[in-house]
Amino acid sequence: MAKAAKKAEIALEHYDVILSPVITEKSTQVSEYNQVVFHVAKTATKPAIKAAVEALFDVKVKGVNTLIAKGKTKRWKGQRYIRSDAKKAVVTLAEGESIDVTTGI
Amino acid sequence: MQIAEKTNEGLKRQYEVTIPAKDLESRIDAQITQVSGQIRMPGFRPGKVPKNLVKKMHGEAMHGDALNSAVQEGVQKLVADKKLRPAMQPSVALADDYAQGKDVVFTVELEVLPEITSVNIEGIALEKLVVEPSDAEIEDALKRFADQQKRFEAAPKTYKAAQGDVVVMDFVGSVEGEEFEGGKGEGMQIEIGSGRLIPGFEDQLVGAKANDKVKVEVSFPEDYNVAYLKGKPAVFDVLVTEVRQPQDAAIDDTLATNLGLESLDKLKEILKDQISGELQGMTRTHLKRKLLDHLAANHDFDVPPTMVEAEFGQIWAQLEHEASHEADPTAAVAELEKDKDEYRRIAERRVRLGLLLSEIGQKEGVNVTQAEMNRLIGQEAARYPGQQQQVVKYFQENAMAAAQLRAPLYEDKVVDVLLDKAELTERSVSREDLQQAIEDDDETPTGHVHGPGCGHDHHDHDHDHGHAHGEGKPKKAAKKTAKADDAEPKEDAVKAEKKPAAKKTAAKAEADAEPEKKPAKKAPAKKAAKA
Repeated sequence: MAKAAKKAEIALEHYDVILSPVITEKSTQVSEYNQVVFHVAKTATKPAIKAAVEALFDVKVKGVNTLIAKGKTKRWKGQRYIRSDAKKAVVTLAEGESIDVTTGI
Repeated sequence: MQIAEKTNEGLKRQYEVTIPAKDLESRIDAQITQVSGQIRMPGFRPGKVPKNLVKKMHGEAMHGDALNSAVQEGVQKLVADKKLRPAMQPSVALADDYAQGKDVVFTVELEVLPEITSVNIEGIALEKLVVEPSDAEIEDALKRFADQQKRFEAAPKTYKAAQGDVVVMDFVGSVEGEEFEGGKGEGMQIEIGSGRLIPGFEDQLVGAKANDKVKVEVSFPEDYNVAYLKGKPAVFDVLVTEVRQPQDAAIDDTLATNLGLESLDKLKEILKDQISGELQGMTRTHLKRKLLDHLAANHDFDVPPTMVEAEFGQIWAQLEHEASHEADPTAAVAELEKDKDEYRRIAERRVRLGLLLSEIGQKEGVNVTQAEMNRLIGQEAARYPGQQQQVVKYFQENAMAAAQLRAPLYEDKVVDVLLDKAELTERSVSREDLQQAIEDDDETPTGHVHGPGCGHDHHDHDHDHGHAHGEGKPKKAAKKTAKADDAEPKEDAVKAEKKPAAKKTAAKAEADAEPEKKPAKKAPAKKAAKA
């Protein structure tokens, strides 16, 4: 936390915005373009995500793209139900910045 | 990899080995490449996990593995480079301040086998004591044999039972007027004087006739194995149903034909074979003892102390185990304690002879063939009826156990070679003389060696010092003595000599250090204890 403190104050709501990193083949692929993928809160806005990432990881963010992955419809014992939707954010970092997503916050 | 010698005194060597961090790194990388093909992780197709992720997940464990194998290879290389023949598993100590990413520095301590340069096996003159089985002995054996065949036949109704007769009886026993558990029986046969029942019981049956009713009053001994009956007086109502008299089997052709032999002469022949087999075993034991004495006297070289220590530990454990079975364990241990130096000397002698024998064996090209090995395993397996399969498998999978099985045979073969080369002078002696001779030159000239007849209790696993124990199964006994003779070359010695390079796997190391660790039911453990 100490390292983050010098740039942007970490507010508690930042932790509510960023839920977890997405670690998949695809997310590893986009890291080539200096992008990092996160699961974010469904209500999070792009500016909020940008602020949170900048505060938590102490990096400069160039842009944020978001998407909502709709939950699949499943059946269980004949009953249908719907999995929760999930919002993901593809965060493009400024040149020279990087986040090691595997280490956690 | 750098190797620096730190000490080199006597048989002890100490080296410091340094493995650069880079070597270790490349080792880990190689392992990751190898492993990442199979790793599964959610979010990735199998085998598509990026390497840095794999490293992050499994790096620690891999580092340990790599370090381990690097050190092992280092030791192996060290041994190969310096042409060392380690006596025992080298002890490796990693430097205290080691951390990941630093050069690996470790010290290796080991003891090398002594160079036995002057093996002198030519011109050994030995006296072979030969005993011919005498007629009297055969007669004796025959008589004993006939005794075992004796039958009991029903006596007339008026006959009174005497010592040595068999009484068939029904009985009901009671303590303080109440019947107790197990105190009832029908048609029990008991030989009077055999001492199988409570003391006093059998005596009171003397004089009983068939259909007699006898009241037998006895008291249970204090050390009876049923707690609530200890020392209690008991009354047995005994109904004697039959008295049987022993009939000595006559020594004639029927005795032989009963056994499916043609005639008495045939039986005699077989007995003679048995006796002479036994005697030959004794002769060989004596000869071997002399040979070993000769070798021990003519060769003097340093012996690795750790090997002696291990051998001594084994002897000591065995003795302590025996002592614990004595009536007064503490006294027995105290007595052992007095002879500690003696035993240490024995241990040293054994190790020395073991090394010497394996050295000679190597020079003379003695080896144990697979066929012989299989036969041995078969023999061993036959001792565990019903589990032959497992035993055979155990020996096939467990090189250590197999080596242990092989050692006595190997030793025997070496002795054979030596005896072939030696000049033998035959001398006929009597059985007693031979026995005496064997006892006389026990391995310690000054006297007390733990052997039969030294006042200790040797239950079934007596460790033979070469006395063929008379009757029973003479052939087997003789063979056993030959095998379990005191100078059994230690397995580790043989192995160390045989395959110095292949010896360093950790598993073996463990087994090496503690042969007694094996499952108790397996024979080698027993043998190790006996050696």
